[in-house]
Amino acid sequence: MSSRSAPSADQPLLELRSVSVSFDGFWALNDLNLVLAPGELRAVIGPNGAGKTTFLDVITGKVKPTKGDVMFRGRSLVGTAEHRIARLGIGRKFQTPRVYQNLTPRRNLELAVSGNPSPFHLLFGGLESPARERVQHLLGVVGLEPFSNQPAGGLSHGQKQWLEIAMLVAQDPDLLLVDEPVAGLTDEETGRTADLLKQLSGDHTVLVIEHDMDFIRQLDSQVTVLHEGHVLCEGPMDEVQSDPRVIEVYLGVETDDLDSVENIA
Amino acid sequence: MTASSPSPLRRWLPWVLIVAAGLILPIVLPPFRLNLLGRFLSLGIVALGIDLIWGFTGMLSLGQGIFFALGGYAIGMFLSLDNLEPGKLPEFFDLYGVKELPGFWQPFASPLFTFFAIWVIPAVVAGLLGFLVFRNRIKGVYFSILTQAALLVFFNFFNGQQKLINGTNGLKTDTARIFGELVGSDLMQRYLFVITVVLTVGAWLLCRWLTTGRFGDALIAIRDDEPRMRFTGYNPTTYKTLVFAVAGGLAGVSGALYTVQSGIISPQFMAVPFSIEMVIWVAVGGRGTLIGAVLGAVVINYAKSLVSEQLPETWLFIQGGLFLLVVTALPDGLVGWWRLGGPAKLQAMVGWPPRTATYPSLDLDPALRSEQGEGKP
Repeated sequence: MSSRSAPSADQPLLELRSVSVSFDGFWALNDLNLVLAPGELRAVIGPNGAGKTTFLDVITGKVKPTKGDVMFRGRSLVGTAEHRIARLGIGRKFQTPRVYQNLTPRRNLELAVSGNPSPFHLLFGGLESPARERVQHLLGVVGLEPFSNQPAGGLSHGQKQWLEIAMLVAQDPDLLLVDEPVAGLTDEETGRTADLLKQLSGDHTVLVIEHDMDFIRQLDSQVTVLHEGHVLCEGPMDEVQSDPRVIEVYLGVETDDLDSVENIA
Repeated sequence: MTASSPSPLRRWLPWVLIVAAGLILPIVLPPFRLNLLGRFLSLGIVALGIDLIWGFTGMLSLGQGIFFALGGYAIGMFLSLDNLEPGKLPEFFDLYGVKELPGFWQPFASPLFTFFAIWVIPAVVAGLLGFLVFRNRIKGVYFSILTQAALLVFFNFFNGQQKLINGTNGLKTDTARIFGELVGSDLMQRYLFVITVVLTVGAWLLCRWLTTGRFGDALIAIRDDEPRMRFTGYNPTTYKTLVFAVAGGLAGVSGALYTVQSGIISPQFMAVPFSIEMVIWVAVGGRGTLIGAVLGAVVINYAKSLVSEQLPETWLFIQGGLFLLVVTALPDGLVGWWRLGGPAKLQAMVGWPPRTATYPSLDLDPALRSEQGEGKP
């Protein structure tokens, strides 16, 4: 919702200040700094084990940073429970699609769209008609209308991906954290997902983690490259692609033969 | 709406039968059988609570006996105090040389207090216990073990406190009187049967209301993927605590009804096997079906009493076999099996398949009929 308390123009929406996370001595994140401006669309790439998912876990409260601080609208998120962070306006889509298998897509969305997550509201308050229309609209957008009344567990992988993206949109957070949204989608669906995310940015701030370089290029956004738990470089896709350090971490060897990571994507 | 909505007949028939049973059975059944049925029906209420927390929310509690017995003790204490001559104590206190009524007994002299104590005390105890467990995110097997451990603690406490609640002997209720009538009398038992039917239906309606709307969706969502609920802004602890407290309250009502119909409340109601049996009733009847929980409780217990009258030693084997059968062949229980077209499959298996369904809706569709009609003069 754009009407939410607007942060002052120069205040970043999200700021990670030298965040480090240690799992029994292994540093999954190592002195990571990152700043997201309101309304920005940002892509995060990095080889396997670069700490991309841990990075989302730290923001959403699943993992507590060993060192450093996570600020959302100038307020520290460290030590805040997951559901409170979610209520502050941070939504997350998981790497493998996680939908409620035994509920229908419609009911999945109705849970996500609910503005008030208290049990008494769910028991005594009906779903307001704007919310109902929103659910109907989103079902149409992701093409799940024909399947809206059968358990979501029976949907295909791609449909589950889209359902989860729709759930994230229904939740209407200020910051959308999207982990591998196009894994297992067709090229056409990938293009539509890119359009959707671009459309959402502006009103919302969107952070996308993805391996698919074509998809990242379609997003046409700033790219942050993670490597061994810290930021390797940042910049537009073209610049990042030709950075020798990026090529090195993706290929594991220093080479001049390949002038872009495109070749390995 | 749910994906599979059974026909109104199939949905309502069991309940029409139960209401009819509530009216007719007290007249036609001999008192002994009626009493048994009433007892087993009251066990259906604790089973409904288990279905709520296990079938819908995914929390397997092996300690519902705690709340069941708390409800039973509440009514038992009330009946022990009721109709006492002024200044006298319930008999067992004399045996242990207790001269003064313990403080916590005092409020149970009041019928109004007892009426609330039967369900509020178990609900509050369940809520507190649940909150501590759920807040620390204890789930799955650990939750089950913890509830069983709590059950043992309660059992040992009640079993050992002769001077407080007559310890292992429990409290007898059938020789007590309500409204001048013996609790154990045939007339009283008939009334109690009708009350049990009404409360069972009420408990079912409550559970149905809780599970059909978005609240019920939230419970199923917690069962399916609890962490995801957190990331959507829901606090599963609140939901789980609430629903565990409701199940506790239902167990209390169930225990009170069972107590007045079996004539005694003793720590045996908190024995470990009894709480496990409760889970078996729900598993056999069908998890997440509500009706299955009640049917499971009534049918298994009736079978148990019938079998035990003839061949007392065999029941445990039959019960174990039933449980194995359900776990291996009928994961959705009897009601789930029925709803998923089990009878037709069984017919097919014995070489007498049911007739394949045609498409009468197409035959009767006016649009299609007129199309066919147009071809003819």
